[in-house]
Amino acid sequence: MQMTPLFAFAVSTPERLVRLSRADLAIIAIYFALVLAIGFYLKRFAKTGEDFFLAGREMTAWVAGLAFVSANLGSLELLGWAGSAYQYGIMAAHWYWIGAIPAMVFLGLVMMPFYYISKTHSVPGYLKLRYGPEASTLSAITFAVMTVLMSGVNMFAMAVVMKVVLGWNINFSIWVSSLTVGIYVAAGGLFSAIFNEVLQFFLIWFGALLIPILGFSETGGWSGMVARIHQNFPGQDFTHMWQPMSSPNNNPMGMYWVGIVFGLALVQSMGYWTTDFLVVQRVLSAKDIRSAKMAPIIGSFFKMAVPLIVIFPGVLGRAVLPMHLMPASNLQAGQYSYNEVLPLMLARYCGPALLGLGITALIAGFMAGMAGNVSAFATVWTYDIYRPYVNKSAPDQHYVSMGRWCTLIGLVISIGTAYIVMRFASIMDYVQALFSFFIAPLFGTVILGMLWKRVSRAAGFWGLLAGTLSSITMFCLMKFDPEHWVRVFALSPIAQPLAQDMYQSLWSCVVCVVVTVLVTLVTKPRAESELVGLVYSLTPLAREEHASWWHRPVVWGTAALVILVILQIIFW
Amino acid sequence: MGHGGAGDSCDSANHFLVDEMSEKHHIIPVWFFVGVLLLIYGVIIFATGLAEWSHPPDTVLADLHAPVWWGGLLMVLGGIYCALFRPGKSTN
Repeated sequence: MQMTPLFAFAVSTPERLVRLSRADLAIIAIYFALVLAIGFYLKRFAKTGEDFFLAGREMTAWVAGLAFVSANLGSLELLGWAGSAYQYGIMAAHWYWIGAIPAMVFLGLVMMPFYYISKTHSVPGYLKLRYGPEASTLSAITFAVMTVLMSGVNMFAMAVVMKVVLGWNINFSIWVSSLTVGIYVAAGGLFSAIFNEVLQFFLIWFGALLIPILGFSETGGWSGMVARIHQNFPGQDFTHMWQPMSSPNNNPMGMYWVGIVFGLALVQSMGYWTTDFLVVQRVLSAKDIRSAKMAPIIGSFFKMAVPLIVIFPGVLGRAVLPMHLMPASNLQAGQYSYNEVLPLMLARYCGPALLGLGITALIAGFMAGMAGNVSAFATVWTYDIYRPYVNKSAPDQHYVSMGRWCTLIGLVISIGTAYIVMRFASIMDYVQALFSFFIAPLFGTVILGMLWKRVSRAAGFWGLLAGTLSSITMFCLMKFDPEHWVRVFALSPIAQPLAQDMYQSLWSCVVCVVVTVLVTLVTKPRAESELVGLVYSLTPLAREEHASWWHRPVVWGTAALVILVILQIIFW
Repeated sequence: MGHGGAGDSCDSANHFLVDEMSEKHHIIPVWFFVGVLLLIYGVIIFATGLAEWSHPPDTVLADLHAPVWWGGLLMVLGGIYCALFRPGKSTN
């Protein structure tokens, strides 16, 4: 969900971290060959619009659930969060636990029925049905810009990592990866993207799981790791999640627990997991409503386990690495940045072949990130911009062709973005900001529309616009005059960018909700008959009393929440 | 995609784990491709581990011979996935 800057890779290390053997190269080559073969194989099945953009709506709960969580498990995220875990300790796991699980369960149990019953192709598509074209178009345009930008950033980050870790040429990495992604997504559409996300999921787990296994073997378990960290960094706490959050001065993030509970859990994670079309599209591909409800809940169990391969390696780095890693902005020759902790740990434990597996997992993560973004871009462009405004009544086949061309055009724009990104070392800060500009207010608009039938068409648009503009304004004020405004918006003068982001999301969502409510009170509501299937109180939802208890999404959603509480207590 | 159950005895537990997909498309299940990848990688990693048994690489805990048991695990899992979800296998 959140990412940290990786671009310091470009200037951080004078030479490559590892050298690949023939076995490593064979493993990488086999991966490229297999994903291309799968793309060509799936091309014959992606014939209609529903096939190409929604994978035929026939994915099982398990496939949709794995793709759902995997679309978020890109390498940018993997490397960035491992770096954050080194920097902030196990507190970084908040973004995987309280900052993800309640939102995923909420999506499955409360919101998914509306997305699914309305048969929409996208989140902007739902907004169009609920509010009309104004809010939908605003959301579609901002989302299209965001996905292409994110795809380019993924591309560049991968090229830079490959350059630093393996010594590969940046242009070679950008063109080979984007050509591969372009071919397989243009061929099989969302079928290809989802297939490769499932493959990537297994690769990442088997490529990265050895690090905590061997890491804890080296330290002698959790207590050994804690003892080593206290020895290496006396007086600092990197192994508790909530204890240090009683005051911003007690933790390296400079954050009070309010920011995590309200900013992260209540707004930003809810916004990301329930309205970011990149992830929601995976669930929309489910074959029936029960699968659509189960998919995010299945995903939540896997999401809860991800800290094992992302957060723990970062924290273990504090215990076992002989050197102290530094902030990316503060590096000197021969030093390594926080973001390099995962490759460093990989190089520490993995010899020939295992190293190839780990590197392939990273490549697969980057490519899946690109594929996810361009497939979501193609859908939103075709269904929410091209069809309503350019060509309303073309045959289905025309829209499939448009989707294929959009995939390729989206990649070309992404490549351009990747080259532009090279000129701006801190562009990731701005990408994160874009994310909080558009996703947090969008959550306010979508959830009010689903739960309150009175919300009017004008209120949806003005609320979304006001939330977005307020977020941009807060960002600018905190950037240009941090001494004054960080204290005001983030409730602490020492709040780090991650903490600022949480509060920015919280306040922008509050502004969106307040404006939406106020405009609703002075405008005319839509007729109830137009809102059936779109609003909670007007939609008859299928009951599940006839299903055995282990088939009921609510049972598994509750189980996920119980495990979440237990994890909080264990790592309190 | 989650085509097929875990063999002829598609009991409810397996049905829950890997539901059948609709009959709209007859696509080779994604689990089969996962199995192929794990199997091939398992063979390469296991063979590399055996080849370097007497001369382990210069990594921490190399004496644990991780490539041998990790490659073996991948081979077994890959083999199981390939067998369970191979194309043309009956689902009922």
